[in-house]
Amino acid sequence: MDPQAKLIEIDARGLEPPEPMEKVMQTLDLLHSGQHIRLLLHREPFPLYPILQSRGYRHDTMPQADGSYVILIRPADTVPGMGG
Amino acid sequence: MSHQASLSFEQAPPFALPLRFFLTAPLFLLAAAILIALAPHTLASRWTPQALALTHALTLGFLAMVMLGALMQMLPVVAGATMPFSRAVGWITHALLALGSTALMAGFLTGDALLYQVGMALLASAFLVFLLAASSSLVRAVASDTVSGMRLAMLCLAITAALGLALALSRSTGWVLAETAAAIAAHAVLGLLGWVLLLVVSVAYQVVPMFQITPPYPPRLARWFAPVLFALLVILALAPLLPQAAASAVALIAQVGLAAGILAFALVTLRLQSRRRRKLPDVSLDFWRLGMASLIASVAAWMLARLSPAWADSDAYPLLLGVLFIGGFAVSVVSGMLYKIVPFLAWFHLQAQLQARAGSIPNMKEMIAQRWMRWHFRLHLLACALLGCATISPGLFAMPGGIATGLSAMLLWLNLVTTTRRYVSHGGRFA
Repeated sequence: MDPQAKLIEIDARGLEPPEPMEKVMQTLDLLHSGQHIRLLLHREPFPLYPILQSRGYRHDTMPQADGSYVILIRPADTVPGMGG
Repeated sequence: MSHQASLSFEQAPPFALPLRFFLTAPLFLLAAAILIALAPHTLASRWTPQALALTHALTLGFLAMVMLGALMQMLPVVAGATMPFSRAVGWITHALLALGSTALMAGFLTGDALLYQVGMALLASAFLVFLLAASSSLVRAVASDTVSGMRLAMLCLAITAALGLALALSRSTGWVLAETAAAIAAHAVLGLLGWVLLLVVSVAYQVVPMFQITPPYPPRLARWFAPVLFALLVILALAPLLPQAAASAVALIAQVGLAAGILAFALVTLRLQSRRRRKLPDVSLDFWRLGMASLIASVAAWMLARLSPAWADSDAYPLLLGVLFIGGFAVSVVSGMLYKIVPFLAWFHLQAQLQARAGSIPNMKEMIAQRWMRWHFRLHLLACALLGCATISPGLFAMPGGIATGLSAMLLWLNLVTTTRRYVSHGGRFA
């Protein structure tokens, strides 16, 4: 993972639960300030949301045309659309 | 943007809620196994007291137990609306269902009217409490194919329970139920093809793509399957009330429709599973494939009955259908789902409780030993094969079939208990 990158991408499409969530948790532990996660998943990860919320992260989920999902994960105090 | 309501962690059910259902169910499967092993003439026909006790040990004590526990876990997530008083509802429903099933089984075995009545009262209360709470959640639910399927499955449960109540009442008091044979047939068909099958199918739309990494179910199948099947079931249930000639014709058409629908679901599921992304050996998947193969075999047994009146009238035919549908399909699919849901929940709750750093809690594969799940699968497969043969030749196969089922049940229970202990030993709590 490039420590300089602002956006860390996790492509978890095709991974069995809870590997996608495990990868997100691992990455969150290593995140520097100013860095965000872009998660690609084949299903909407409902069980992930409460965990993110309890750790102080917000999520923005965007369904894609091919049925997969892109989820942007960033600290809850980030204003969406500004910075990051 | 996501339109689905997102639950906060405080709203998600605690681990203990579904877990108590899941840990109780295998004990009823064991009870069923003991009935078969100790009284081999149980399988002489579906009407023996032991066969009736055994059927309800499986459908109420095992299947309903797991399915209600799973619903208590899944409804808030799938419907996007929490169940009111879920802890109390879970505790009460579990206790009433366990005690009621036991009393009913004892009623069948002894013929004692009081046991029937106690069983009826407890079971009626269990289903009433559960259905009221679940309806409250479903009424506010975000629409989806899974949600509409669940609604119809629960409607079938309510009707099945009402019919069961009426039948038990007529067995234990002087009250005579008109059209008893039709009521029994409707009770069985709505219970198995309505409640069990429709719920499994609705849940499959979520868990098969999610846990088995398959493509999603075809939208048109997902949309129409439950409503069409429900309509056919109602027609089939009411057909005996029509004049004789019409009754047989209507019943046959409904049965053909049901058989075609079941076949379609089984084949579509197998096809999706053959297109899954990661082709690693997976015990849960094998349970599902056994389940789908058993559905296909059930349809084949039914088709044979259309062609051969002798087979249709035999004692073995309904028993074989029962073994294939309940044992081969329902128990298999439920076991496969348990082996995904329980480790997943253990991991999820540990994760949330411990805010754990990576690597400090076991991943899902480490929650439950693959080897022991595989052994359970083998025992279960053996049990189904032996019990299938036992419907034709009970003297020879019933006892080994019962023993295999018993060992299979014990291993299932041990595997789930091991996961629970692993959860506790890593600091998991049941607050």
